[in-house]
Amino acid sequence: MDDILLDPFKRLLAHICTPSVIRDEEGRSGLAQCWGELEQSGFIDALLPESRGGAGLSLSEVFPLVVACGEAALPAPFAETMVARALLDKRGAELPTGAAIVLAPPSPVVPLAAKASHALVTANGRLSLIAMNAGASDPFRAGGYADQLKGETLLEVAAGGIDLQAWAAALAAAQMSGMMMRILDMTLRYANERQQFDRPLSKFQAIQHQLAVGAEYAVSAHTAAAIAMSGQHFDPLRAAAAKVCAGEAASKLCAIAHAVHGAIGVTEEYDLQIYTRRLKQWALAFGNERYWADVLGSARLGTEAGTSADFVRLHLGNME
Amino acid sequence: MSLLSAFPRTQIPDEAEKLRPQVKAFLEKSISHMRPQDRAKTWTGFDAEFSRALASHGWVGLTIPEGYGGGGRDAFARFVLVEELLAAGAPIAAHWIADRQSGPLLLRYGTEEQRQFYLPPICRGESFFCIGMSEPNSGSDLASVRTRAIRDGHSWRLTGSKIWTTYAHQSDYMIALVRTSGEPKDRQKGLSQFIIDLSLPGITIRPIRLGTLDSDFSELHFEDVRLPDNALVGTDGEGWTQVNAELAFERSGPERFYSALVLLDMWAERMRAEQCPQDREILGRLIARLASLRAMSIALTGRLAAGESPVIEAALVKDLGTSFEQDIPEIVAASVGAVPDRDADPDMLATLAYLLQLNHVFSLRGGTREILRGMIARGLGLR
Ligand SMILES: Cc1cc2nc3c(=O)[nH]c(=O)nc-3n(C[C@H](O)[C@H](O)[C@H](O)COP(=O)(O)OP(=O)(O)OC[C@H]3O[C@@H](n4cnc5c(N)ncnc54)[C@H](O)[C@@H]3O)c2cc1C
Repeated sequence: MDDILLDPFKRLLAHICTPSVIRDEEGRSGLAQCWGELEQSGFIDALLPESRGGAGLSLSEVFPLVVACGEAALPAPFAETMVARALLDKRGAELPTGAAIVLAPPSPVVPLAAKASHALVTANGRLSLIAMNAGASDPFRAGGYADQLKGETLLEVAAGGIDLQAWAAALAAAQMSGMMMRILDMTLRYANERQQFDRPLSKFQAIQHQLAVGAEYAVSAHTAAAIAMSGQHFDPLRAAAAKVCAGEAASKLCAIAHAVHGAIGVTEEYDLQIYTRRLKQWALAFGNERYWADVLGSARLGTEAGTSADFVRLHLGNME
Repeated sequence: MSLLSAFPRTQIPDEAEKLRPQVKAFLEKSISHMRPQDRAKTWTGFDAEFSRALASHGWVGLTIPEGYGGGGRDAFARFVLVEELLAAGAPIAAHWIADRQSGPLLLRYGTEEQRQFYLPPICRGESFFCIGMSEPNSGSDLASVRTRAIRDGHSWRLTGSKIWTTYAHQSDYMIALVRTSGEPKDRQKGLSQFIIDLSLPGITIRPIRLGTLDSDFSELHFEDVRLPDNALVGTDGEGWTQVNAELAFERSGPERFYSALVLLDMWAERMRAEQCPQDREILGRLIARLASLRAMSIALTGRLAAGESPVIEAALVKDLGTSFEQDIPEIVAASVGAVPDRDADPDMLATLAYLLQLNHVFSLRGGTREILRGMIARGLGLR
C-alpha cells in the first residue's frame, strides 16, 4: 500500500525513537536529539511541491506518516513542522533551517512545544512564526508547554482563511489515532501473555469484549482522522469530526487498556503509560470533543436543506 | 486482522453518485406524504407497492446482472441507493432481504436454472424473501439448528421450526439453514441451505405480535414438507460456509447505523427553532460518529466489491453502528423529557416512542452484540 513511503519512515522511527529515548527526552526540554536526523531524512518536506524540493504529496498521502509519529510517541513535532513548512513555503516565506515548529493556537497545553524551537501562532488575522521562549512546564510530563507560547516574531504571513486551530486539531487527532493503535496492540499482547487462574487473560470473555470495544474505538478514531487529513487543505468541520472521535475514543481506550493491564500499566518501567499520558494530554489540546462537537452541531443546524446523511456526505465525505 | 489496513480510504465513484439525484427526486414524489413515525420504520416498513415502484425504476436487484433482470451495477451504486432510501425513511422491507442477500446468494451459489427462475421476479419486486436461520432453541448458537431435511429419492422432506423470521408471513420464499446429515453435536458440519416456497403444503406460519402490536416477524412449522431436488442451494453440507459469506453483506451496510436517522433529523429541526447549547453539542457528537461510521461502511463496500469477505470488520461496523442508532432515541428522549413544560410535537413524540420501544432489537437482529464482540476478539488474535 503506502509502503515505499511508510516502511522507511517507520524504520527510521524504530531506530531513533525507542522507549528509552522517549523517557530520556521527557526529562529535559529543548530539541530532541533525533531532530537532526528527522530533518535530514527528507520526509519533512513531503508536502512541499516537487519544484520546491519536496515530494509533492497530499494530506491523505502523508496521513500514515503522521499516524506513525503517534504510534511511536515521537518526542518531536515532525508532523507539525512538515505542515508548517508547506504552509510557509506556499506563502512565499523563507523556510528556517533547523527549526522544529509546533502549531500553537490557543490551548491549555501545547504538546511537543518543549521539544520545539519555533511556533506558528495567530494574531489579528495574521500567522506569525515565533522563536519560542520556554513556557510553563507540562503537568503531563510529556514535552508540552502549558501556557500561551511567546517569543520573538520572525515573520508574518496572511492567514488567508487558515484556521490554525483546525490544523492543530487534525494533526492531533491523527497522532492520537496512532497512539491508540499502539495502546491497543500492547494491550492485546499483554492479554495473551499474562496468566491468571491458570490461563491467559484473553480467555476471559469479559476481557475479550472490552478489547473488541477498544478496537472499535481505535478504528473509529483512525477513520475520522483520515477524514480530517483529506482534500487540499485542513478544514474545520473535518477536523472537528476527527477530534471528537479521537477524544471520545481516547478516554474509553485508556480506561480499557489500564483495566486490562492491572497495576503494571501505570508504572514508570512499563511502556503503557508513555502512550496513555500523551493521549490524555493531546485530548485536552486544541479544543476537546465538547468544543469541536459544538462546532459540528452548529454547522449541522445552520444547514437547513437535507438530512444528516447529506450533511455528512457533503462536509465530511471526501476521503481523497 | 491488521486494523490499520482493514478500512482503506474509499471514495464512492462519481458514476455511482450519479444515481443519487434520481433517487432523491423519486423519494420526494413518493414518500413525502408519509408520517414520520411510519418513515421511522425504514427497512422494517413493509409496502409491496412501494417495492414494485422502486423496481420499475430498476432499483431492486441493482447489483444483479442485467441478464437476470437486474441493474448490473456495483456495490457502490447500491450503497448510494440504500443510503438515500434509509435516510428518507422509505418503506423497503418487502424486497429488502431478497435485494440485500438472497439475490446475491443465489447468484453466487445457485444453479443456472435457479438464477433464471428466481432472480428476474426478485428484480421486478414481485418475489419477496425471508431468512430462516433462528429456531426456538437455536439463537446465537446457530450451528445447533435442528430443522432437518432428509433426502427421499429425487426430493427432500423437511421437518422442524424457524422463529423470528422477519416478514415470513408476507414473503414468497425462505432461504433456510437446516441439517441434512449428522446430529446437532456435529455443529457446523452437515448443514445446508434450501430455498423454500412458503406456499407448499405442510408449512404453517404464525405472525408474532410485538408489544407495540406490530407483527414484524413470524414463527414457522414445517411438517414433512416435500421439497423438490432443486430446492437445495449450493452444496449439500456447505450451508455454514455459505451463510457466513452472507454475513459480511448483512452486517456492514448503512442500515446498521441509519435506523433512527429520521428521528435525529426531526430533533435537529426542533433544535433549530429553539437552540439549546447542550443539545447542539450532543448533536455534533452524533454527526462525528456518523461520519466515521459512514466512511467505514464505504470502505467495506469497496472490499466487498473487490470480492473480499471482511466478516470481522463487518461485525465491528455493526456493533459500533447499532450502538449509534440505539443512542439516538435515548438522546432525544433525554432532551424532550428535560423540558416538561414544552409541548412535544405529536409526530416527533410518536416517532420517538416507536424507536424507544424497539431500539433494543438493533443489536439483536443479525447477530447479538455479545456474539459480534466474540468474533472481533477472535479476529484480534484473542482466545
Ligand atoms: C427484530 C428481529 C428480527 C429478526 N429477524 C430474523 C430473521 O429474519 N431470521 C432469523 O433467522 N432470525 C431473525 N432474528 C433472530 C436473531 O437473529 C436472534 O434474536 C439472535 O441471533 C439472538 O438469538 P436469541 O434471540 O435466541 O437470543 P439468545 O441466543 O438466547 O441470546 C440471549 C442473550 O444471551 C447472549 N449470549 C448468547 N450466547 C452467548 C455467548 N456465547 N456469550 C455471551 N453471551 C451470549 C446473547 O448475546 C443475548 O444477549 C431476528 C431478531 C429480531 C430481534
